[in-house]
Amino acid sequence: MSDFYQTGVITTLHRLGKPSLERIEGELLHFSRTRPVALVLPALYSEFEGPAMPKIVEELSKVKYLCEIVLVLDKASDKEFQKVREFMAPIPGDVKIIHNDGRRVMEIYDTFKRNGLSVGERGKGRSAWLAYGYVIANGKCDVIALHDCDIVNYSREMLARLCYPVANPNLDYVFCKGFYSRVTNKMHGRVTRLLVTPLIRSLQSLGGEHRFLKFIDSFRYPLAGEFAMSTDMARVNRIPWDWGLEVGSLAEVYRNYSPRRICQVDIADTYEHKHQVLSSEDPEKGLMKMTIDICKSIFRTLASEGIVFSDGFFKSLSVAYLRLAEDTIMKYEADAAINGLEFDRHEEAKAVESFARAIAMAAETFMKNPMGTPLIPNWNRVTSAIPGILDMLKKAVDEDNR
Amino acid sequence: MTKIVERQEIRTILDRVGSADIVVGIPSFNNARTIGHVVRAVQAGLAKYFPGHKAVLVNSDGGSRDGTMDVVRSTRIEDQAAILVHHRIDPVPVIATPYEGIPGKGSAFRAVFEISDALNAKACAVVDSDLRSITPEWVELLLKPVLREEADFVAPLYHRHKFDGTITNSIVYPLTRALYGRRVRQPIGGDFGFSGKLARFYLAKDVWGTDVARFGIDIWMTTTAVANGFTVSQSFLGAKIHDTKDPGADLSAMLYQVVNATFGLMETYPEVWKKAQGSEPVRTYGFQYAVGLEHVNVNVERMLGIFREGLRNLREIWIAVLGQGDFGEVEALGNTGDEAFHFPRGLWSRIIYDYALAYHQRRLPAEHLIKSLTPLYLGRTASFVLEMRDADQSGAEEEIERLCEEFEKNKEYLLNNWK
Amino acid sequence: MIMQDFLTLVLEPFREVFAGFKRFAPNMLAMLTILIGGLVFARIVRALLRKALTALSFDAWSDRMGFTVMMRKGDLWTKPAEAVVRVVFWFLVIFTIMIGLSALKVHAVNTLVAQFFLYLPRVLSAVLILVIGYVAAGFLSRTVLIALVNNGYHYAKVLAEAVRLLLIVLILAMALEQLQVAPNIVVAAFSIIFGGIVIALAIAFGAGGIEAARRIIEKGAAEKSEGKDDIQHL
Repeated sequence: MSDFYQTGVITTLHRLGKPSLERIEGELLHFSRTRPVALVLPALYSEFEGPAMPKIVEELSKVKYLCEIVLVLDKASDKEFQKVREFMAPIPGDVKIIHNDGRRVMEIYDTFKRNGLSVGERGKGRSAWLAYGYVIANGKCDVIALHDCDIVNYSREMLARLCYPVANPNLDYVFCKGFYSRVTNKMHGRVTRLLVTPLIRSLQSLGGEHRFLKFIDSFRYPLAGEFAMSTDMARVNRIPWDWGLEVGSLAEVYRNYSPRRICQVDIADTYEHKHQVLSSEDPEKGLMKMTIDICKSIFRTLASEGIVFSDGFFKSLSVAYLRLAEDTIMKYEADAAINGLEFDRHEEAKAVESFARAIAMAAETFMKNPMGTPLIPNWNRVTSAIPGILDMLKKAVDEDNR
Repeated sequence: MTKIVERQEIRTILDRVGSADIVVGIPSFNNARTIGHVVRAVQAGLAKYFPGHKAVLVNSDGGSRDGTMDVVRSTRIEDQAAILVHHRIDPVPVIATPYEGIPGKGSAFRAVFEISDALNAKACAVVDSDLRSITPEWVELLLKPVLREEADFVAPLYHRHKFDGTITNSIVYPLTRALYGRRVRQPIGGDFGFSGKLARFYLAKDVWGTDVARFGIDIWMTTTAVANGFTVSQSFLGAKIHDTKDPGADLSAMLYQVVNATFGLMETYPEVWKKAQGSEPVRTYGFQYAVGLEHVNVNVERMLGIFREGLRNLREIWIAVLGQGDFGEVEALGNTGDEAFHFPRGLWSRIIYDYALAYHQRRLPAEHLIKSLTPLYLGRTASFVLEMRDADQSGAEEEIERLCEEFEKNKEYLLNNWK
Repeated sequence: MIMQDFLTLVLEPFREVFAGFKRFAPNMLAMLTILIGGLVFARIVRALLRKALTALSFDAWSDRMGFTVMMRKGDLWTKPAEAVVRVVFWFLVIFTIMIGLSALKVHAVNTLVAQFFLYLPRVLSAVLILVIGYVAAGFLSRTVLIALVNNGYHYAKVLAEAVRLLLIVLILAMALEQLQVAPNIVVAAFSIIFGGIVIALAIAFGAGGIEAARRIIEKGAAEKSEGKDDIQHL
């Protein structure tokens, strides 16, 4: 994939020519002196038994420009925590593992709860948010990068390209989202292809030009779990703890910063990761929850920007979406054909049907309770409610890692 | 606390005088050198502008050893013909007496309020005892609006050097303007006019055992008048030249006294300042003229030196008060060189609000908290001096006006975080 | 006849022991009753205190006040209310044991119990000295810090920390002296440490400080000649 077209309102950074890994890492090493970079990795213990983690650890051991790495370990016992520590030992530099189920961190979560701060349920959003808190508590890093731990074809070039725009002090970016194509023998990323983009476009056709919709539409892969941001943003942004995490985070970025300071970067030619979570449950159900949460997140952001929703609007939306989604299927069919990829039209159509149902369900929930926000309070709010909380968090994590 | 009016000798004089329209109070402590001039100016002013009114002069003394009170008692206007147009027949009765209570200007004023109340005065004024620039006109400017029943409280308006009164210009004026919504330019001026009604109101407040009695009386009088709905105005008095206070006087102690009183008043009137939005000008009396003001030396390097030392040594305190975000901005300032140093207005207003919040939450002992503001204040002052180097008085006033707008804009931040 | 005497001889020690036991039994019973009663009482108090502290949101209050942070810094991760409850519970238990032991009316134990109760006030005053002393040390050290910073001293923080350190050493020595833990050694150790810190400071400022002192004096003289700010802050 190679072109240099600038989409929408944010900056797009392409893969052009033959970028050299040594050069980019050399520059990052230089930048890291004035703008140190932290890497946050939300992980489940089960991912350490998968195929992706060993490659990630191997690649990270060769990375020299990171100030600290914070891995948030969910669903692990004390013994499993120790195993993970050994697993991560080859990586040089500051590596801290936040043991979400350890007694110290559990006590921290309880401290939030008893002070009236709702930080949501277990999940990637909450884990990432806690890691931001630790990075803020340490006060060492100006940039936070985040990516998943189930990327099978991980290479440190992905990380370097992800960090570069925000770490470079000569460019003025505060947020950078990764994009890629998820293609193996067939096209993946159904939710992005068949839900998000058609939904956004049908909202635009119904409600007219809206800056937020234009903003989201600029992203080539809005659901990518890879991004880098400045630490200040971590203090101010409120992120959702449900599946609306990615879209909700983009909404917060849109709310708080100018689009000129936001970019997206092509981080890989191909990208493959395994959604372990979805395959263990009924795929229908898992995908449904995700879809509903994403839709709710989009509706909520639009409502806060002044759009008025009504039953009539949602009815029209369903029709417009179905129309647009069907057209999109045809487009992707052609795309798959020319590239020799497998394409199951029936499966795609079924997905679109479930998505349409999910949109309707999301609309219903939203109309009933538009203020039902699963947003985690930002760190500024938390520290003013519980003044010593960052010290407590730092102590908990440092002691766990001693 | 015994009332001063219960003392035998005072009672005698009060009975003799009976009642008065005007009471002018001069607090003093070892001011024998300067108080004579002030007394003469007041007497001349009363004679010239209020010949038909019955007036009493009160010197409320803090136990002077240099014969201040004797000077007051014996001072008369020598050459009345040269100063006045009409001859006054009765000399103004003078009550020179030590005051009761905690040593401090507030207790001195309390004595004045009591006497005013006992004499049923219609209008009162208080002036500092070390003023060299006071003229008989000051008496008219402070009292006339009250006597004409157009105002309950008259604040002074001085023409000061653009670099003088920096505590007022950068903290007290913008803060009280944003809080209470009235543009009283010199809230801690020290020379005020007020009605007998307001004096009685002051007297009724139970503050005479607190810091207000010691040194917070000026801001307390102004804020109490504004917050309780009295009609407030200000009069242009010209230049204020008084005996320079001991130049070695500890800046952080001065800062503590003033800011502590201001923050303390926020605790008393939260419903008032929470409701006020924007700000309105107050009626200004007097003919405003430009006064020639000489050049002053300002040691900017020293101020910036203290600011940078503060940044190094007071890190933890500043982070706890300001939060990481604002502290980060302050830290960035620490790295700029002297010539490029610029302390943003928005940052300064947020810092003051952060300190007000920290004061309210009692995160640190008040004295430590406010004294830790000193290096930040010096940084801001240095920046102001550097920027206004070549500006004239009106240029500096514009800058202060912009600062006040910044305070008003950021008031929301204070409201959101005040719990 | 001989059989009779022999039996008496054999049974005599048993009888004596039994008599002794009979004398001792009531005391033993008293002690057991006190222990059981005390334990039950302590448990009841623990449950009630737990309920009360939960109802008062003691944990959240402790979080906001900063007591929880202090606990966490000492790597104590129990909930604050739970910590308080446990301290109270164990205090009651020890108290009960002491009273129970005194019911035994065994002389050696009595002296021990008496000494325990005599020692308690000392423990209390030692704890008080530590707590008040710690707060006072922090307060004084911060006063010094702010005063020095506002006068432009470069080494304000170092001096303030030195003051805090000296005060804490003093407090610890005073607390230990209260507890009468090897008093002579404590006095000697305190003198050495305190004196050592002072000498170290003197050497540091002496050797490294000659330059600094000279600069300060020169700067002071220069300041006087060029005059400090002429602006009036007030």
